[in-house]
Amino acid sequence: MTFSLLLRSSALASVVVLGAQAASAETFRWASTTDPQTMDPHAVNAAPVLSFLNNIYEGLVRRNQNMQIEPSLATSWEPLEAENGWRFHLREGVTFQDGAEFNAEDVLFSYQRASDEAADVRSWFAPVSEVRVVDDYTVDFVTTAPNPLFPDSIANFMILDKGWAEANDAALPARDAENFATMNVNGTGAFSLSSRDPGVETRLVPNPTWWDEAQHNVTEAVFTPIGNSATGLAALLSGEIDFIQPIPLQDVAQVESRDGFKVLEGEETRVIMFGFGHEHEKLLYSTDVTDANPFQDPKVRLAAAHAIDIDAIDRVIMRGKIEAASQLVPAGISGYSEANADRPAYDPERAKELLAEAGYPDGFSFGLKCTNDRYINDEALCRAAASMFAAVDLKAELTTGPVRDYWTQLREDDFDMYLLGWSPGTFDAEHPIRFLLHSQDDEKKLGSWNFGNYSNARVDELLPLIQEEIDPAARQALIDELVGITQDEVAYIPLYTQPLIWAAKENIDLTQRADNFFMLRWVTIN
Amino acid sequence: MAYFILKRLIQSVFVMLAVAFLAFSLFRFVGDPVSQMTGVETSEQDRERLRDELGLNDAFIVQFARFTGDMLKGDFGYSYRTRQPVAEMIATRIPATLELGTVALLISLIVGIPAGVYTALRPRGFVSQTILMTTLVGVSIPTFVIGIMLIFLFGVQLGWLPTFGRGGTVQIGGWTSSLFTSDGWRALILPALTLGVYQLTLTMRLVRAEMMEVMRSDYIRFATARGIPFRSLYFRHALANTMVPVITIIGLQFGGVIAFSIVTESVFQWPGMGLLFLESIRFVDIPVMGVYLVVIAFFFVLVNMAVDLLYVAIDPRLRVREDA
Repeated sequence: MTFSLLLRSSALASVVVLGAQAASAETFRWASTTDPQTMDPHAVNAAPVLSFLNNIYEGLVRRNQNMQIEPSLATSWEPLEAENGWRFHLREGVTFQDGAEFNAEDVLFSYQRASDEAADVRSWFAPVSEVRVVDDYTVDFVTTAPNPLFPDSIANFMILDKGWAEANDAALPARDAENFATMNVNGTGAFSLSSRDPGVETRLVPNPTWWDEAQHNVTEAVFTPIGNSATGLAALLSGEIDFIQPIPLQDVAQVESRDGFKVLEGEETRVIMFGFGHEHEKLLYSTDVTDANPFQDPKVRLAAAHAIDIDAIDRVIMRGKIEAASQLVPAGISGYSEANADRPAYDPERAKELLAEAGYPDGFSFGLKCTNDRYINDEALCRAAASMFAAVDLKAELTTGPVRDYWTQLREDDFDMYLLGWSPGTFDAEHPIRFLLHSQDDEKKLGSWNFGNYSNARVDELLPLIQEEIDPAARQALIDELVGITQDEVAYIPLYTQPLIWAAKENIDLTQRADNFFMLRWVTIN
Repeated sequence: MAYFILKRLIQSVFVMLAVAFLAFSLFRFVGDPVSQMTGVETSEQDRERLRDELGLNDAFIVQFARFTGDMLKGDFGYSYRTRQPVAEMIATRIPATLELGTVALLISLIVGIPAGVYTALRPRGFVSQTILMTTLVGVSIPTFVIGIMLIFLFGVQLGWLPTFGRGGTVQIGGWTSSLFTSDGWRALILPALTLGVYQLTLTMRLVRAEMMEVMRSDYIRFATARGIPFRSLYFRHALANTMVPVITIIGLQFGGVIAFSIVTESVFQWPGMGLLFLESIRFVDIPVMGVYLVVIAFFFVLVNMAVDLLYVAIDPRLRVREDA
């Protein structure tokens, strides 16, 4: 706050003087809040790691600027004829950064490595029953059921060289202690690592033997994690870095008001929502209703949805940067249900009527759990929502806390209502159905983030049908039906899609992808 | 003397054990390391297996015993977050924190002591009053605000100094130092100033109060009457007698400077132990947090010991007593 004020007054007072160490033309310096924990592409399934390593390693397929799948280490792929699964034809003449040649053995090895118990990314391969090397440049991924989305789901599955990993004792991802692949890389991608000081600075240089034509003009890239957002902004404005992701919403105006800098805004695919304790017999935090859980009644859930004024939240808290959400994925994601694009309108009168119909004419009190360091302005959002609920006599007792013990509380059912943000990892509507809408089923590994255990037999029935349906129109019909059910039952209250806000110097051209991944290969320094 | 040091070192083991115990009993409330280590798609079974592998399902006392047992054997464990050896992680961060703390301390002494003497000798002067007022303001503003204001002024506005990081460092043995390059010094100035402001004010006010006290004492009046030159009177006779309490407080504060440089390190993205600790809290990296706290406890013990030894060096009366 203080910082913002200072910047505002100073923007009027003078022009920024660039630091003496203004970088040479093509050295690109950038910062983000989190350092990638490891250089091992299979050890941690977390955005900072996968985003960073996508500059160094490559998968069979990759996502383009618009998130579409395109050929990478595989030049083409088609469904298998005799059984369920996919055949990938590999690119010939690709070498790893150490000079070793890329072939089918590396794909098989990487599959074995990434699907091992020690790998955090193994969930990507749950549908895979077998991987077969057909010849040096052909690999079959056999799946247990038809899986039209499989190629989309492995865009972040990065390929390691078998010989390199085995020679360096890194045949499996490091689990307890580090191994060679934690600090060293050998990919096929556009960049290679020139130095790494974890948590301090990581340097990359272009890979001269990259198979694809470079679209960037970066000769060296320096990454620094900067945890404190005010420091990051100062580093940008002083000219010490060229680009930072993300910046806080409240600093957008500061950056825009200065010459030589720009803000890049987009929609992330993350939908922010409220969830309910569907399965809870009683409210935990209520002072007046202690023997029942009113949220088990869809009317009460709908009343809560009608109480939310999303436009006011957009205006006051999110500075006009959000897109209201009707379902658990935003428009534009494959499988988005156009047929169900409406969300419950802001209608406090209707909310009160619904509460009266449900037997709570005077409302009731309950506990609302929120994070305060996970999503953009999450605490402010929850405060606003609590006062909106209060306006229809839903008295929310708000508890906010850091994300590091938030999931534990939710897994222990310690909530009446909670805040959640969800980004579909596969960029398809099936993803949140699998994790948030299907009943909890540890055996099948379904519904693992469905904390309130929303359960509907038809939804559970529809999920495998959606997963296996090859015909796009038929698949969409199934999804439309499912979204319709969950909207009628108000399984969640989807609120909005979170904005993506990056900032850069004016002379930098780059691509902001909806998954919040930053790709060096699309950077141009003018 | 050797006996004294040995005794202190043995005591330090108990201090560290106590700190480790307290820390461990609190870690359970920090959060769940496993949900920070794994992605959203990781199944509950895999999480549970990881929890078992890390021994997080064991009773608190078992976990504590394992931690201290390994520590005593010299095995500091591996970070949950980066899988690197904790000893190595902390060791590479120690130089940054120590250099920052030491320079901050030097700034506070070099500026604080003369300023204290000056304000004591001319308590009602305009300059004295100004100094006292400004330092009071400096000490009332939280460290992170001071840091951000300095960054804004010298980094963003004037563009004279870097806003983050350590600048140019050189490797001397296992020690990464920023004291030998001009870039390193430029990067060091703002964080050291930020960290030193509180110390500076404290030193100055302490020296001032002690000095005024001493100046009223009989031997100073006597010396004045004898016509001893003022320079010698103030700096040799008066100042030396003010230093014992000053050193105690400053020494004890130095432990605090090292331990609580966390805020400054975070504001300046200064890659020291404090920053590492903050990152570790965010990821519930229990091994790193545990070792950090134990190391900090050890620093405190060391600093206290150094203060005790300095006493002896400064105050001849203590030396006599020990010899006797």
